[in-house]
Amino acid sequence: MSELNLIIAGVGGQGSILASHIVAIAAIKAGLRARVGETFGAAMRGGAVASHVRIGKTVEGPLVPCDGADVIVAVEPLEGLRNAVKFLKPGGLVITNIHPWYPMDVNIGRARYPSMEEIEQAISKLKGKLIKLDATKLAQEAGNVRTANTVMLGALAATGKLPFPAEVLKEAIKENVPPKTIDANARAFELGMKALSK
Amino acid sequence: MGKLTDFITQDAPGKRVLLMGNQAIARGAIEAGVQVAASYPGTPASEILETLADAAQKLGFHAEWSTNEKVAFEVAAGAAITGVRAITSMKNAGLNWVMDMFMTLVYGGVRGGFVIAVADDPDAHYSSNEQDTRFAAFYGEIPCLEPSNAQEAKDMCKYAFELSEQLELPVFLRSVTRISHASGDVELGPIKAPERRPVFDKHWRMAWRWNVYGPPGPVEKHRWLHSKQAEIEQAVEKLPWNELKLVEGAELGIIASGIAASFAKDALRLLGVEDKVAFLKLAAPVPVAKQLTSKLLKSVKRVLVVEEGEPVIELQVKALAKDVAPGVELLGRFTGHVPRVGELNPDIAKQSIAKALGMELEKDEEREKIKEEIQKLVAPRSSTLCAGCPHLGTYWALKQALKRVGGKVPIVNGDIGCYEQGGYGIAGKRYEPSDSSESKAYPIQAPYETLDTNYIMGGGIGLMQGQHHAGYKDGALVAVAGDSTYFHACLPAIVNAVYNKAKGVFVVMDNHWTAMTGHQPDPCTGVTATGEEAAKLSIEGIAQAIGVEFVEVTDPYDLKATQQTIERAIQSGKFAIVVSRRVCTLQALRLKQYKPRAKQTRVNEEKCTGCMLCVSFGCPATTFDTERKKAGIDPILCVNCGMCKQVCPFGAIEEVKE
Ligand SMILES: Cc1ncc(C[n+]2csc(CCOP(=O)(O)OP(=O)(O)O)c2C)c(N)n1
Repeated sequence: MSELNLIIAGVGGQGSILASHIVAIAAIKAGLRARVGETFGAAMRGGAVASHVRIGKTVEGPLVPCDGADVIVAVEPLEGLRNAVKFLKPGGLVITNIHPWYPMDVNIGRARYPSMEEIEQAISKLKGKLIKLDATKLAQEAGNVRTANTVMLGALAATGKLPFPAEVLKEAIKENVPPKTIDANARAFELGMKALSK
Repeated sequence: MGKLTDFITQDAPGKRVLLMGNQAIARGAIEAGVQVAASYPGTPASEILETLADAAQKLGFHAEWSTNEKVAFEVAAGAAITGVRAITSMKNAGLNWVMDMFMTLVYGGVRGGFVIAVADDPDAHYSSNEQDTRFAAFYGEIPCLEPSNAQEAKDMCKYAFELSEQLELPVFLRSVTRISHASGDVELGPIKAPERRPVFDKHWRMAWRWNVYGPPGPVEKHRWLHSKQAEIEQAVEKLPWNELKLVEGAELGIIASGIAASFAKDALRLLGVEDKVAFLKLAAPVPVAKQLTSKLLKSVKRVLVVEEGEPVIELQVKALAKDVAPGVELLGRFTGHVPRVGELNPDIAKQSIAKALGMELEKDEEREKIKEEIQKLVAPRSSTLCAGCPHLGTYWALKQALKRVGGKVPIVNGDIGCYEQGGYGIAGKRYEPSDSSESKAYPIQAPYETLDTNYIMGGGIGLMQGQHHAGYKDGALVAVAGDSTYFHACLPAIVNAVYNKAKGVFVVMDNHWTAMTGHQPDPCTGVTATGEEAAKLSIEGIAQAIGVEFVEVTDPYDLKATQQTIERAIQSGKFAIVVSRRVCTLQALRLKQYKPRAKQTRVNEEKCTGCMLCVSFGCPATTFDTERKKAGIDPILCVNCGMCKQVCPFGAIEEVKE
């Protein structure tokens, strides 16, 4: 593949932007060209966040075109669906955490949160493949709930879609997460990788 | 992490790193040996100064968050007059504040390199408007550089200092959200130490250089500025980031700049027409490089201009084409090939280019239908204030106070900050336009429906005075603003209210930080941009000193007391200031000034009547089960602030020890 278009989606506070930067840093370490475009709200928690990562010789702008994402990594399921509708390439892959973070609109009964079955059907109608894992639970197992983003990166590495070895990504994680969380993140990465190879 | 500070200050030429556009601009300034950096926060520009502030102490230069952009601009300009290199950075709207100094400084220019870095925000992701500030460079008759990726952001910023010194004029560096908040691989260059000694020569190369009124006066200095234009025109022809690719036999040529050039390149490849279309990337949208552009114009039949924002390049190319290639058809925003509003992206660029080529883009109708269906499943995620945000308390208290003593149709004038969400509406609810000849009351169902007017920083308190002087009698007049906004833009308006005898209540929602733009310190925080301890200015003290007769301070976590304070303020009939003070919850949690986990807040379902009053409080931690008609609290989001407990009239919200 000459170019990888990846989107990491989630909710503000879940670390999806950091995760996208880590992937791009790993790509640069591997000698590739990388672009990251992020969309996020203000400094608040709880807003929809999506980060576009583009890796390859030919990439110019930081945004993935419509129907152009090879892989969508969803740290939160609804946010995965929100981005898949617009950006998933037919034949592309969605890796999603199954643990929802309900929007206020849902919490107060003004909107309905789609079921996992509905999300599965939607991805299949979009001609995409879906991989599910409970990243939030695995992050707890790793010793820090906030490492769900790293669990997802482990899963991403296990798919073999990245144009560089998993080791490079591991190193980039180690160098870029808060020092106190290095061990938890390393465990989270392994758990994410294992969850997929099962 | 601290990693950024490490490599942003590292003298490691050739090293390749990932930098956000704003960090890249900062690094460019560092490589140029910048000595003074001044800014006021504003998304998407804030990280420029944040990065510089991180590096300032280590490298030994000055970086500051100024009170507002005008002051920041002047701080940087003052330094440049003494021959050192200086940068000021701001968001689009910030530039509106500096225009007076901007338009006049250029009459004498600068001695040390002076870079004005402005981040525009097409699509208004974080802004009240979509303004294109490149017009300011046009207006001020100085060159504007526009990077198309992070590497160029760094390199152009560094070069802008050199160009500024060569021209003895400020140089404008225009970014946009998709540059500032995008990241890319950047190869670092060597760092230049910030060690120039400032000097002052009143008549440096021009009599009364730094005093626009000094003889020969403004008109002659304007003439001097014009005499610089030829040199500017030559400089922009030679910028190393210009790219001209002529294609034999090509009918279409594209002229693009900045991020739009990157989108256009992506689009050309998506369409598979890279080798069939001539292409010119202009590193400077102002002024357009005439020779390069003429070459392109003369080689094709049609030209499409792809630029982000308003038709700044397009207008210049139109004027130029009239002289050099009158037969060429010009396509762009004026012909509908490029949309007039919103931002560009690779898909829009693709459509524009396809249209210009007369290419029919394939449409997968079936897929579009499927997408429409799926879209219905995608629940909105409305933006809200944070769980436990003090602004929630202030808005609740204000709503109750207005209900009791606010009259029929009170007017709440909003302002810019996290609390501007008080006017975002809720869950995408849309209102039909109304055309009432009488003042009309609308219920406030949630804090997100509080603000009746809102435009720009500091705007609300002025509007309120106009409503008073117009003789508005149908309800109370209120304005709100945050602490950072208070210092930025409200002080002259407070002086005005006292002097011109306006009445109304001004609520300062003081959370001690410039929260919305990412928690930068302001004059009441107690620290500077570089983390040094600083004076904490007193909001109420300043108001009292100006002569405001009613000034009271309240804690928004105490809903009743805050409500009563606002009621007293309204009933005083004076110009009254209420300071509703509590540190931003998010920041308090981060700084460990607030420990939330001592207890658990829960809903006692036996007592809950399903009245939804707690829901209307607007905290994102409050949940509601529509089938069972019971409220709940999300234990992960809740910070146990106790505000919702005060809202519930049935005592159904309880705090239990963990
Ligand atoms: C002229 C201008 N400069 C900067 C901004 C960016 N901005 C948006 S809100 C805000 C201030 C927020 O601070 P504060 O008033 O203390 O409110 P808070 O967000 O802390 O509630 C700033 C600087 C702007 N909108 N306009």
